Amino acid sequence: MNKKLHPEIIKHFHSTTFTTPIIGVTGGKGGVGKSTIAINLAAAFVANGKKVALIDADVDAPNDSLLLGIPLENPEPVTIMQPVFDSDKCTDCQKCVKACQMNSLFRSREKTITMMGECNGCEACYLVCPADAVGRGSHSVGTLYTTRRGDLTLYTGALQPGLAESALVVNAVKKAAFADADNFDIILVDTAPGTHCNVIGALKGAGHVLAVTEPTPLGAHDLELILSLLDMFAVQTSVVLNRSDLPGQQEKTEKTGRAGSVPVAAEIKLDKDLLAGYLQGTPVVELFPNSSAAKIFLDLADRLAAAWPDQKTQAKTKARQEQL
Amino acid sequence: MKEIVILSGKGGVGKSSLTAALAHLLTEKGTRLTLADTDVDAPNLHIVLGAEFDRSRAVAASDKAIIDYEKCSRCMRCVKACAFDSIIGDNEPIIISYSCEGCGVCALVCPEEAVSVQPMENGKINFVTSGAVRVVAGELGIGESSSGRLVDIVKREARQEASLNGSDLLLTDGPPGIGCPVIAALKGSDYAILVSEPTPSALSDLQRITEVVRGFNIPAGAVLNRNDMDEKSARITRDWLIRNEVPLLGEIPYDPCLPQALARGALAVNMYPDAPSSLALRNLHKVVEGLLD
Repeated sequence: MNKKLHPEIIKHFHSTTFTTPIIGVTGGKGGVGKSTIAINLAAAFVANGKKVALIDADVDAPNDSLLLGIPLENPEPVTIMQPVFDSDKCTDCQKCVKACQMNSLFRSREKTITMMGECNGCEACYLVCPADAVGRGSHSVGTLYTTRRGDLTLYTGALQPGLAESALVVNAVKKAAFADADNFDIILVDTAPGTHCNVIGALKGAGHVLAVTEPTPLGAHDLELILSLLDMFAVQTSVVLNRSDLPGQQEKTEKTGRAGSVPVAAEIKLDKDLLAGYLQGTPVVELFPNSSAAKIFLDLADRLAAAWPDQKTQAKTKARQEQL
Repeated sequence: MKEIVILSGKGGVGKSSLTAALAHLLTEKGTRLTLADTDVDAPNLHIVLGAEFDRSRAVAASDKAIIDYEKCSRCMRCVKACAFDSIIGDNEPIIISYSCEGCGVCALVCPEEAVSVQPMENGKINFVTSGAVRVVAGELGIGESSSGRLVDIVKREARQEASLNGSDLLLTDGPPGIGCPVIAALKGSDYAILVSEPTPSALSDLQRITEVVRGFNIPAGAVLNRNDMDEKSARITRDWLIRNEVPLLGEIPYDPCLPQALARGALAVNMYPDAPSSLALRNLHKVVEGLLD
């Protein structure tokens, strides 16, 4: 079922301009605990003395700031090019109308060009206009926030409600964090649910990805999807089994399909302390540092840090990437 | 025919479970309905219903740039022109299909006419029958894009199906988030049911989805799922709904019967008709029935 990707695309996916390790937290299904795991892991790395960047790349529904109990600060708009039409220069050739693949441009009876639909900032209208009648304006599609608290820096991307340009906001928030990459020991990326281009964009550059799931038929189904995606890009992956004692089909989740060949990095049971932290907006690692839930994250952070860079695994992953 | 869409902003709050339970209860009382699963990234409605696909059809809901390397002079102008960084390469241009928006700028700048934008297969439409209910479900290929346009096709097919079988209602199970596929699922709906749960995260996402729904002038009401999860958050959510004039259609308590039924491929409203969640869903379904008049 999987399409084979061009080896250059896989290489491009893994290429970064810095050496700070990137860990992705994803999961296919929504509500399985991606953000909970991302913020607690971030807090655990900080507790272990690391400087951490956490990127909230679920730009449709960014919640990491709420779960960390820190406000969104330093807003900056994410803008894209939006055409501005100069009716004095326009010769009514309508090449722009034809060039717009979004079918967003409309020529009114007064022979002026108006934008009626969405614009993704591709600049096709600007390129085809022979009369220099299309100017480059800008249009805000979302907001980036950077909040610094001690050794943790949270980068949040937020899509403007009503707009469709999630991918552009994902790229912008990653770019902002990556520009400071050398200041961090580790970069964590929390993704949106799903297996679409925004999830791939969010995970681009990640050397290790945690695929979070829960032991329900829905969790198992969506885990297969996300693991297939990660396999296409030859990403080193492990599974975090959340709410592992939910009345359900744990065995099936762990042992069938692709999930059977991916290591389980951590198992988290339904936990009162974890839920209390979630509701209160404090990582359990800070709220109850001696709780069993906190220990899971501290231990996971330790193991991830120790395994990085695990020469043997890296070499194996690299070989797989080259083989593709 | 009425169209109702179930959305939430936040994932995993129970959209699909609610869709399936409502479909079952409404059908039981004689409403004819068709379901659309527009969570094309993680289509789960058929699993909740415990049903298999009758048939599937591949669809090309995506336009992507393609390079004819025999014509390509390796001038790399397309690489520089792409506003989405979707063409890479040092010696020859390579299109990153998953992020290509199909805007055609690369074709416009190519002096050799080596680039064209062509429709590409990016997913499937699956047809499912569950008892008296027909389901049209979209499924995006792994690593594909243009989920919004796939959702458009799912909705078109579901409307056709609904008019063929004389449905009174098209009930759409929406995707999480507020972006492109959500807007596609929402468009043309008469009403949106916004599912939330009493947590700060779910409230924040409820606020964002409410803003989207309002922007499209579609009336909406809320359902508070797992309402006993946290008393304080539940109170804050109810207050917010009142202040913002979003009617609360119903509340459903957390119920271990739900995952238990799900694990067996059954609906809790069927398997445990007297469970607290089943009773709450029966009340809710009457409210939804009222929306159909």
